[in-house]
Amino acid sequence: MTNRLVQIRDLHKSFAGVHALRDVSFDIRRGEVQALCGENGAGKSTLIKILSGVLEPDEGEILFEDRVVEFHNVHAAEATGVAALHQEATTFPDLNAVDNMFVGREITRAGGLLLDRAEMRRKTLEALERLGETINVAVPLRELPLAQRQMVGIARAVSCDCRLLIMDEPTASLSARETTILLTLVRQLRDQGVSILYVSHRLEEVFETADRVTVLRDGEHVTTQDVNTLDKEELIRLMVGRDVKQPTRRETGSSASDDPVIEVQELTCRGRFERITFTVGRGEVVGLAGLVGAGRSEVARAIFGIDHYDSGHVSIHGQTIPPGSTSAAIKAGLGLVPEDRQHEGLVLPMSVRDNVSLASLQALTRASLIDTRQERALVDAQIEQLDVRTSLIHASAATLSGGNQQKLVIGKWLACDPKALILDEPTRGVDVGAKAQVHGLIRRLVERGLATLLISSDLPELLALSDRIFVLCEGRIAGELDGATATQAQILELALPDRRVPAVT
Amino acid sequence: MNRHLNNLMMLLRQREFCLLTLVGATVAFATAFDSAFLAFGNLRDILVRCAPTAIVACGVMLVVVTGEIDISVGSLMALLAAILGVTISTNEWAWPTWAGLLIVLTFGTAVGLLTGALVTFGRVPSIIVTLGLLTALRGISTLIMGGENIDRLPPGLESLSKVGILGVPISIWAAAVTVALTAAIISWTPLGRRLYALGSSLHSARFAGLSEHRLKLFVFAYTGFLTALATIVDVPRLPKIEAGIGVGFELLVVTCVVVGGVSIAGGRGRLAGVLLAVVLMTMIRPVLTFMDIGEAGEKWTKAIQGMFILLAVLIDSIVSRQTRRGTPP
Amino acid sequence: MSFLDQAKRFPWRHEAVLLLLVVLLLVVASSLQPGFLKLRSQLLLSRHLWEFAILALGMTLVIITGGIDLSIGSNMGLSAVAFGICYSTTGDPLVSSLVALATGTAGGATNGLLISKVNVHPLIVTLATYAAFRGIAEGVSQGASYSQFGEAFSRLARGQWLGVPLPGYIFVCLAIGFAIFLWKTPTGRFLYAIGHNEQAARFSGIAVDRIKLSLYTMSGTLAGLASVIYVSRFDTAKADAGQGFELDVITAVVVGGTSIFGGRGNIVGTVLGLVLIHETRQFVGRYWRMDELRSIVIGFLLIASVLVYRMVRKRDRD
Repeated sequence: MTNRLVQIRDLHKSFAGVHALRDVSFDIRRGEVQALCGENGAGKSTLIKILSGVLEPDEGEILFEDRVVEFHNVHAAEATGVAALHQEATTFPDLNAVDNMFVGREITRAGGLLLDRAEMRRKTLEALERLGETINVAVPLRELPLAQRQMVGIARAVSCDCRLLIMDEPTASLSARETTILLTLVRQLRDQGVSILYVSHRLEEVFETADRVTVLRDGEHVTTQDVNTLDKEELIRLMVGRDVKQPTRRETGSSASDDPVIEVQELTCRGRFERITFTVGRGEVVGLAGLVGAGRSEVARAIFGIDHYDSGHVSIHGQTIPPGSTSAAIKAGLGLVPEDRQHEGLVLPMSVRDNVSLASLQALTRASLIDTRQERALVDAQIEQLDVRTSLIHASAATLSGGNQQKLVIGKWLACDPKALILDEPTRGVDVGAKAQVHGLIRRLVERGLATLLISSDLPELLALSDRIFVLCEGRIAGELDGATATQAQILELALPDRRVPAVT
Repeated sequence: MNRHLNNLMMLLRQREFCLLTLVGATVAFATAFDSAFLAFGNLRDILVRCAPTAIVACGVMLVVVTGEIDISVGSLMALLAAILGVTISTNEWAWPTWAGLLIVLTFGTAVGLLTGALVTFGRVPSIIVTLGLLTALRGISTLIMGGENIDRLPPGLESLSKVGILGVPISIWAAAVTVALTAAIISWTPLGRRLYALGSSLHSARFAGLSEHRLKLFVFAYTGFLTALATIVDVPRLPKIEAGIGVGFELLVVTCVVVGGVSIAGGRGRLAGVLLAVVLMTMIRPVLTFMDIGEAGEKWTKAIQGMFILLAVLIDSIVSRQTRRGTPP
Repeated sequence: MSFLDQAKRFPWRHEAVLLLLVVLLLVVASSLQPGFLKLRSQLLLSRHLWEFAILALGMTLVIITGGIDLSIGSNMGLSAVAFGICYSTTGDPLVSSLVALATGTAGGATNGLLISKVNVHPLIVTLATYAAFRGIAEGVSQGASYSQFGEAFSRLARGQWLGVPLPGYIFVCLAIGFAIFLWKTPTGRFLYAIGHNEQAARFSGIAVDRIKLSLYTMSGTLAGLASVIYVSRFDTAKADAGQGFELDVITAVVVGGTSIFGGRGNIVGTVLGLVLIHETRQFVGRYWRMDELRSIVIGFLLIASVLVYRMVRKRDRD
């Protein structure tokens, strides 16, 4: 009996002629945490879907305990002992925690006809307890906070007695405390002999938790090696295929805040945030830090007029923005690059051109008809500035990579010639290369005098770009830090409600 | 916000409570007018009127829960009635009544399966499939009837409407059994949980290994079967089978389902709400008739129906906005 | 921009298939039934078409935003009753027509307000007003039917100019206007954005609520207009005007290639869809002399058109 639990041999998969995976072979050992790293589009998700029975490979085979297995569906994979926690939320918002745990593999009595609700409930509570969560298991999931929903998904994956557990970015929406618990649980499971294939963009987690690392690039296997033999720069180089500079601190502007562009005073929305006051000056980047759920995005949406607020005052460039008036905010020169670019930032099925000109279309008319030539010129100019291939102008936005999509959202606002921009998680889910490009773009824009409010959970990014940083905690501003001297530890100190410094820094 | 008001708001958020209040108010209004409204016979007649709608609503509700819709049930009912008439009328083929009923049940289920197959394997949106069937099936039924009414129905059929068990007509029994069966499916079986899961998130359902095709085939076939059952309990009440059977029935059923609180996006909704909506929508005409204000009053039936729908939806929407503002997310 | 570029961007495929079907139908029809294609008989038969056609234009826009309006038929009934009552008091067909238009517009605005301000799904709102409008029409009119509006008024629907019925000109003007609106104006493009992704439209500063409000109001106005033509054609105003129109109109729009989920569709498609359905009806009705067959053919045509489209596009989607 070898130490290998899973052997992946010569896996091939292509979609509509485009290779997603090519000749991928590697092993997963018994009782190890193996990290799977790669840029977006490297083939991680495809590989995971094949391993968990969601997709079938075109060629190649998977050996489980030295026997060839074929997973035609999720049940087959689960029966063999492979469970997966997928990146996209795979919970059911309308079902309660118990039903979420057991949909598709219900515990039944009376010969499979009726549900055994008591038993399912008992097992759910047991699984959640292991995760240190006390969740109301009777209400639909949509009434629970995002992190708790995520924990239910994790509980589901963990609770089936699996041999291989696949986790695709499980910590993306978890707070520091929950991340710590989850990583502890991962180590516990490993010690019990379960193998874990762990995907994360947070490289700190990889180095902290994993035993070995497998790197994929452009659908091909690059390496599988001990995590100890690598450092961060080396790992990034393997993922990207070239050297990428880590973000360095920006030379902070000199005459920043004497020319305020975004002014927010005592902004309050009950239950979400309270008495938020700050200004962003011309050519200044103000960072907004805080845990998921601290109210950062909510503040951004209120300033931009997407959501109403109870009291307070917002003005852009001296113009007062009435609550809930997005068009007034845009007219005054504000743009918002939202957190969820696929659902809020872009109209995915529409073309690149239509997306870029969407917010500025009213200005591109002659006799109230769209002036196609003027529109084309504007879109071309933006696309060039953003370094997106112009041949893509009529392609639908859905076909673009995450990085290019994000550039389009920014381009949409640049087309309006804004005075101020709010960027909400501008590099989430964007791969390392494109991330550097987005950072470069932000720097250039700020040099030209754009006032920028930057929301980011990526602390190195926030520290590198911001002149000043406000830290939100439970809807209030917990403190202001100077971007030039602040540290990650300081930010976390202010961001944590219970002042507990997490293991992840 | 004070606690009692908060509790009241929570209560008002339940669609069932809203509907119950409206039903209660209507009953109280009619009873105040004349206490004979509460007589057993009167209530029984109202329930008999509710039966076909309630039966079909059980099926359409499950369809909507999975995120689909079925607006063909009115025409299917007309077609099934025509088939029933042709097979058993002594003017036509004069088959035994039981054979006609069996054929109707089989055919109804088959049409439901066809709908389901077009939706799942053909990947045609269900609103398109059932809109097409709504037109086509109505055409087939008039074709079968040849523009005339079918009469000379065997006495066995008519007796179906007269027969009662424990003094309760058979149509009410049929509705009760359907409701009980549907309720059991929803809360006690894996099938029910999976239907809600499918409607809640198709994406997650795929990852959980649920068979979208099989589940959707089931709900459409179930609706087809129940439409056949509704036809069987409804037709015997009529002296003859006319062409206009079931016109507008599809929209009434869908109305009851959505007013009952089932989300048209799928995944949400309770049977109790749907049944209350059926009662509310059906009782308007009998109440107006009961009040004996002549034909003038009855002409307002649809207007009142529309008002009730808006009222139920508006209260819900306004109250949920209030509570959303008042409580932390 | 090269011609090829433009050609690629335009969603030709569905329109091309529709055009092919129309031509095929006409060829088969005129070979089986000589004289079917004669202009005179075509124009004569088109009389029933115009109310549908006008309503279909508004419905196209509504469905492009991912909405639906089930109340248009009932709204026609309500507007017709308003017309009748007004005529019986004033005796002036022009004033009555304006009242009918205003009634339709008010009905549409009610839908629009409930959908955009109270935020209730259009299907639910218009199901409610589908019942309410017809009910109010029946209740107010008490089943009465008004008629004899004078020779001049009935010429609106029955009159001709250059052999084409007058409502035909109204339709053509509206169709051109709607096509340019969708194709060339910012708001037209916003409709598609809303249909694809309402949230992203809001985040781009598009006044989604205001657009929806005006859209459903417009749909109501068209229902008022259709009811005036309907009343003129039959010289009768009754609460049952436009009964069942809503589903037929939706059928034409969907056959014309407008996606029921929103974001896709155009006026050219809707016009072709109308022609296809209309000609199929006429042909089936006249050739087999069985009116029932018409609805059977139309029903299956609707399903088949989407089924074929889905099968052709299967590759693209997977």
